Amino acid sequence: MNGAKGFKGFWGFRVPEVQRVFMRLRLAWMVVALAAVAAPVFAHHSAAGIDRSKSVTLVGTVKQFGWQNPHSWMEIDVPNEAGAVTTWKVEMTSPAFLIRAGWKATTIKPGDKVTVKVFPLRDGDPGGLFQSVTLADGSTLTERAAAPRPAQP
Amino acid sequence: MKRTAALAAALAMTFTIVSAQDLGVLAPANLAKARSKPAIDITGTWFIDLGFPGSWRFGPPYPKLTAEAQKHFDASRKAQAEGKVYRDDIGQCWPAGVPMIMTRVWSISMVQLPTVVYMISGFMNSLRVINMDGRPHTDPDLVVRTFNGDSIGRFDGDALVIDTTGFIDHHHWIDNGIPATDALHIVERVRLVDGGKKMQIEYTMTDPKSWEGEWKMTKQWNRVDSRDMEIAEVECLPDLNSHIPSTQSKENVR
Repeated sequence: MNGAKGFKGFWGFRVPEVQRVFMRLRLAWMVVALAAVAAPVFAHHSAAGIDRSKSVTLVGTVKQFGWQNPHSWMEIDVPNEAGAVTTWKVEMTSPAFLIRAGWKATTIKPGDKVTVKVFPLRDGDPGGLFQSVTLADGSTLTERAAAPRPAQP
Repeated sequence: MKRTAALAAALAMTFTIVSAQDLGVLAPANLAKARSKPAIDITGTWFIDLGFPGSWRFGPPYPKLTAEAQKHFDASRKAQAEGKVYRDDIGQCWPAGVPMIMTRVWSISMVQLPTVVYMISGFMNSLRVINMDGRPHTDPDLVVRTFNGDSIGRFDGDALVIDTTGFIDHHHWIDNGIPATDALHIVERVRLVDGGKKMQIEYTMTDPKSWEGEWKMTKQWNRVDSRDMEIAEVECLPDLNSHIPSTQSKENVR
């Protein structure tokens, strides 16, 4: 690498700079691929109890949000038409993956009004696997990192 | 006779003292001993290559199972077909153990010293210790059986060969429904490929209580050097599963 110091490669970049860009791109694509493929096995448990053929939309208030390893999680208080409140437990992936998807520990907090989509439990209990959250400002977050943009020459 | 017994007792005591003075793997005098240059250095952070054939699973194909193991395997497949989980011990915070801990979809940090290799998985910070200072396996009468086993390593050509015995025989699985027993013996041939960017491990596993013959496969890991792929503290805390509903499902098969 040192031997290339001062050498101008294509697009005016020094060779090591170009190599770094390609390395970062490769890593970024790997992260995207992992987020897409690995989510079920990134868990500390089997996801067989989750029904991935269904999606449930929860409109409610954040009761708790746990930003922790190996899983983050949230609890959402969801009122029904009669006014009774059911607390849904929602399991999520690890903070490392959430950070790549744009999350922070402060993204949601107790009291926030949210709309959360989950794959529900097969056994009918109020719980499921996180798909997405729409915040009060209208922004939506998932667990998947956005695809990296191609490097600009 | 009394003199002979006294002599034997003195010898036994001497042996015990000498054993207690064996150097640990991090003793400076042990680290400083003259040794051949290591064939490879696997120090780094690694991540299972999900694009490599077989990915993170150890089967299929599976070997011919013993009758006892087949019962678990059949029950596991039945549960799976019904959308249920069979003995999800890892989900209940039991350690994954070797070999499964190696292919969890988490980074593994490896530190190679002349006398020992430490492998720390990002998954529950599971620790493997591979003694490289020439010692044999721990005496079977003394070994404390564990999920990651009792490992010794040596170099053979371009490979690091890790031999592991001393496994625990409960809540420990090779794959869904295939139990590991205290007869499990694993040999791993570790090689670096693609200029050290990838690591391959060829597994040869025997466990006559669970399957017949040798069960072989090769897995591959990618070297990951970026800060966001480093391992972190990960614990399976007592209250973890109270927030993870699928581990508490009434339909799980215990």
